[in-house]
Amino acid sequence: MASSRKITLRSSDGESFEVEEAVAVESQTIKHMIEDDCADNAIPLPNVTSKILAKVIEYCKKHVDASKAEDRVNDEDLKAWDAAFIKVDQVDQATLFDLILAANYLNIKSLLDLTCQTVADMIKGNLFPVRNEWLNFTFSIANRELVLVCLTEWVAHRRLFCS
Amino acid sequence: MATDDPTSRNWLELPREIATTILLKLGAIEILTTAQMVCTSWRSICKDPAMWQSIDMRNTGDFLEMDLDLELMCRHAIDRSHGGCVDINIEYFGTDELLKYTTDRCNHIRRLRLVWCNNISDEGLSQAATKLPLLEVLELSYCSFSKESLETVGQCCPLLKSFKLNSRGYKCPHIECDEEAQAIAKNMHGLRHLQLFGNKITNEGLKAVLDSCPHLEYLDLRQCFNVNLGCDLGKRCTEQIKDLRRPYDPTDDYEFDATINDDDSFDDDYPSGFSDIALSDYDNYYEFSDYDDFTIYGFDYD
Repeated sequence: MASSRKITLRSSDGESFEVEEAVAVESQTIKHMIEDDCADNAIPLPNVTSKILAKVIEYCKKHVDASKAEDRVNDEDLKAWDAAFIKVDQVDQATLFDLILAANYLNIKSLLDLTCQTVADMIKGNLFPVRNEWLNFTFSIANRELVLVCLTEWVAHRRLFCS
Repeated sequence: MATDDPTSRNWLELPREIATTILLKLGAIEILTTAQMVCTSWRSICKDPAMWQSIDMRNTGDFLEMDLDLELMCRHAIDRSHGGCVDINIEYFGTDELLKYTTDRCNHIRRLRLVWCNNISDEGLSQAATKLPLLEVLELSYCSFSKESLETVGQCCPLLKSFKLNSRGYKCPHIECDEEAQAIAKNMHGLRHLQLFGNKITNEGLKAVLDSCPHLEYLDLRQCFNVNLGCDLGKRCTEQIKDLRRPYDPTDDYEFDATINDDDSFDDDYPSGFSDIALSDYDNYYEFSDYDDFTIYGFDYD
């Protein structure tokens, strides 16, 4: 039966978020906690800050709404929403990193997939923040842009793929 | 643990399983030229056989820019899979030797994709087929394999469920050929999914396929201009096939270039026996700024 029970989630910095159960159980981790009856009071999430938890909730809410009959959104539109959600001006490098860890900890497969794909695309586009231990130089990344001189060096080493 | 520093995270501290998830979304070339160069822990991930169960050598085919030995890279990928590769995609390169190298070492291949592999011969493909008993999904697009090699594939791969044999569509000159369709009909009875984009198949070949492949659910006949579905055969297709693409259906979801390169200088009654393979290779007209005449047929680019 459809439950509109509210669940309270508490972030690592002490902020409380009240969400519908349907949204909360997008996270398999939270789902299991509820099933194991650990969710009478607020569910503490010591690995997730309020900033990140807010974004995770925003994502889960959209995906739950998208599958409901009255608000049904087609696949194309949801993909477009995902792309806008994760866009570089919305989500800086550090936030992306934190989102990945949160999606992993909370076991939200689709969010983990989206964030990992974003990073894979950055690697493909040579926009990935790298510290190359062997070659002894570090890239400092701001706004996901590689410093050009380092990029030239890095690209020159593309041939060293031998095992 | 996340700090509140807005700019810096050490990406190399991502847990190994997450880094693996990310790297698995890259193609083989990116892994070998970029990802494995990042740090020792990523290099260790990139050597894990689990990373190489699926070897996707996708590339743009632009060798002038790439300057990479794809054949060698592919061999390295095969080595790293420790025989566990089940899925391999080779495009714009590939030789009989590479195919043999692959099938000698990997006995459980279920998916094989060869696209624009002009240097793989009928013999190479036939030999490889004998080592691919578990093959379920095969694509041979923009290659030019004979009907005999297709027959061999069908006979050696009884589990084949999906087959894509795409080529350039054209109407001029008018050529009809049911050889490939007959090879499929005779030997690939288990097919559920068949894509024959740009094929020279006629209604007769289509009928043979429908008769012999009772499990067929998806059939793509786009740019098969010799097929006429405005009759009983068309009705039968609609009834038998769940997802049917007709010859003139839109091509926006087709992954390759669907431009029809009709050669208007040929008449319809050009003598038969003209090789349609030779025609389809001359789509890449390079611009020679020294020449005024752009119609350089018969120019061998190899």
